[in-house]
Amino acid sequence: MNIIEITGLSKVYDANTMPVYALNGVDLAFQQGEFTCIVGPSGSGKTTMLNMLGGLDSPSSGKIMIDNTDITGLTSRQLINFRLRNIGFVFQSFNLIPVLTARENVEFIMQLQGVNKDQRDQRTLELLDSVGLNDKINTRPNKLSGGQQQRVAVARALASKPKFILADEPTANLDSKSAEILLEIMEKLNREEKITFIFSTHDSRVVAKARRVVTLEDGKILSDVSSTRPGS
Amino acid sequence: MNNIRLAWRNIWRNKRRTLLTAASVFLAIFLALIVRSLQIGWFDNLSDIVIQSYSGHIQIHKKGYWDDRDINNSMVFNDSVLAVVKSVKNVDKTVPRLEYFALSSFGKQTKGVMLAGTDPAREDALTKLSAKVVRGRYLEPRGKGILVSQGLASFLGLTAGDTLVLIGQGFHGVSAAGKYPVTGIVHFPSPVLDNQMVYMNLPAAQDFFSADDRITSLSVTLKNPEEINSTRDALQRRVDGGKFEVMRWDEMMVEIMQQLKVKTAGGKIIIAILYMIVGFGVFGTVIMMTNERTREFGVIVSVGMQKSRLAFILVLEMILIGLTGLLSGVAAAMPIMLYFKFNPLHLWGNMAQAFISYGIEPLMPLALKSDFIITNVITVILIVFVTCIYPVRRIFTLNVAEALHK
Ligand SMILES: Nc1ncnc2c1ncn2[C@@H]1O[C@H](COP(=O)(O)OP(=O)(O)OP(=O)(O)O)[C@@H](O)[C@H]1O
Ligand SMILES: [Mg+2]
Repeated sequence: MNIIEITGLSKVYDANTMPVYALNGVDLAFQQGEFTCIVGPSGSGKTTMLNMLGGLDSPSSGKIMIDNTDITGLTSRQLINFRLRNIGFVFQSFNLIPVLTARENVEFIMQLQGVNKDQRDQRTLELLDSVGLNDKINTRPNKLSGGQQQRVAVARALASKPKFILADEPTANLDSKSAEILLEIMEKLNREEKITFIFSTHDSRVVAKARRVVTLEDGKILSDVSSTRPGS
Repeated sequence: MNNIRLAWRNIWRNKRRTLLTAASVFLAIFLALIVRSLQIGWFDNLSDIVIQSYSGHIQIHKKGYWDDRDINNSMVFNDSVLAVVKSVKNVDKTVPRLEYFALSSFGKQTKGVMLAGTDPAREDALTKLSAKVVRGRYLEPRGKGILVSQGLASFLGLTAGDTLVLIGQGFHGVSAAGKYPVTGIVHFPSPVLDNQMVYMNLPAAQDFFSADDRITSLSVTLKNPEEINSTRDALQRRVDGGKFEVMRWDEMMVEIMQQLKVKTAGGKIIIAILYMIVGFGVFGTVIMMTNERTREFGVIVSVGMQKSRLAFILVLEMILIGLTGLLSGVAAAMPIMLYFKFNPLHLWGNMAQAFISYGIEPLMPLALKSDFIITNVITVILIVFVTCIYPVRRIFTLNVAEALHK
């Protein structure tokens, strides 16, 4: 079943002066449980695409259906609420609220959702454990390494039980060792918990872990390749 | 993590900035309160002196008397008039007076005087005239005994026990003349009063001026001076408005009021400047706080916090900083105001001399009243709210995708 369907998606910047087609008529669908990487040269439209999928920016034309909801038709308030309940985000860096500890950052999302305290506590610990940070629960972001911060961000993205997680170059600011650990965690969550990940990267080693690779160029899909991976 | 806790943690991200901002608010409210307290204390002190040494809170005259203080502008005063005045709830004490000029003569000396006929007991209740007696006795309710002010007495060369001759013009131009035994000498600190006052009881003055049952003014004090306007209006309604004028003390003392207003204007300008400086200081902090955190706001809204809540947290942060400064400022000013309310400042130099020459003790108590404290607290809170307009707007117009790129 498709959880995301985008049709005729375009985004034009500076339409009146020097129009830039960041996305140009993209049709694409994503299924539950995917582990998909969006690649392409700088300026090809990866960030734009992920922003559209996450409802962080509105398209110039086209439709984005997420679980039968056309998110382009939502008001700003509805969209924020929709994100809270359906989409997890991991950004390139500085994802976390600096004044909150790792545990509070994760819990924060569930608080916004109105989850009760007992459930929050339990799930927060489980999630931090699943990203291998059970010894850092009371640490604030500035005392965590970049890789650890990204892992907390993954735990936070999972906290809301989203339909999918979007990650725009999550490893861009990490050393290769940390990048590898982060990818392994994401992969494991995808494999074991069927969490859907859609991420972008410039790193070929990260691309290699993906099961589906969508390549963009000049705002258009150049290729869309799925590989079957042993054991999946 | 509730909003307040989040806001509280956020403001301590930059301790120095928060403390500096709070300190500027502290200083502003502290100085503003002290300045206002001084001014209002000074003002109230002088008002009390004027009210208690002469005018009362309100005076009733025949219409037109205050502009032309002539014996022919006197009015009839009797128990029924008094009953009408007393029927107004807030009215406390009343003092009827008949005042007009006369010529005094003793031995070879002659001098113009202000002759005041008054009810001895009621006069004393309002102005404590008996306490000013330096020789002899205070007035009696009956008889012809008079009080002469000390400066006048020494000019004429008389003392208690002597007899003063008074000559003048009475009601409707009738000539007035009489011999009056001096029963006491009173001293006024104000040279103007000390050189010209003669007091006698009201019936004696009415007799002298051939003005039976007449007075020139009825001074009224109030139980609650705050309600002076409504009381004046009530009095104006009860007495015949076509025949009488009912004046607030400050409407009568126009010149003194003018001077007081000029003096307090300077203080208000100082306070306005203080608040402007603080306003810009707080605004600077708000701008820095907002701009540094644009990306963070982007993340927070992305992951699902409504902008309204984020804006609320930011306003809370500013309120917390503002309140820290505000409450500590009020807390610091309070004991100072309290102390100097009960232990008035001693004035010195020219100011003290000026006070003494008007017969006023050169003391200045500070005022401690809830109204000006509340006004200043509200002003500061408003300033803080106004500075919050900027970040609130920034948050509501935040473009999440762009903010994430910062
Ligand atoms: N806010 C904007 N205003 C104008 N043009 C923009 C804006 N954001 C993106 N673009 C343009 O849109 C195109 C696609 O940008 P996008 O950021 O999606 O590329 P990307 O694939 O993420 O690149 P990178 O690999 O460098 O992150 C680029 O040509 C970019 O210059
Ligand atoms: Mg990008």
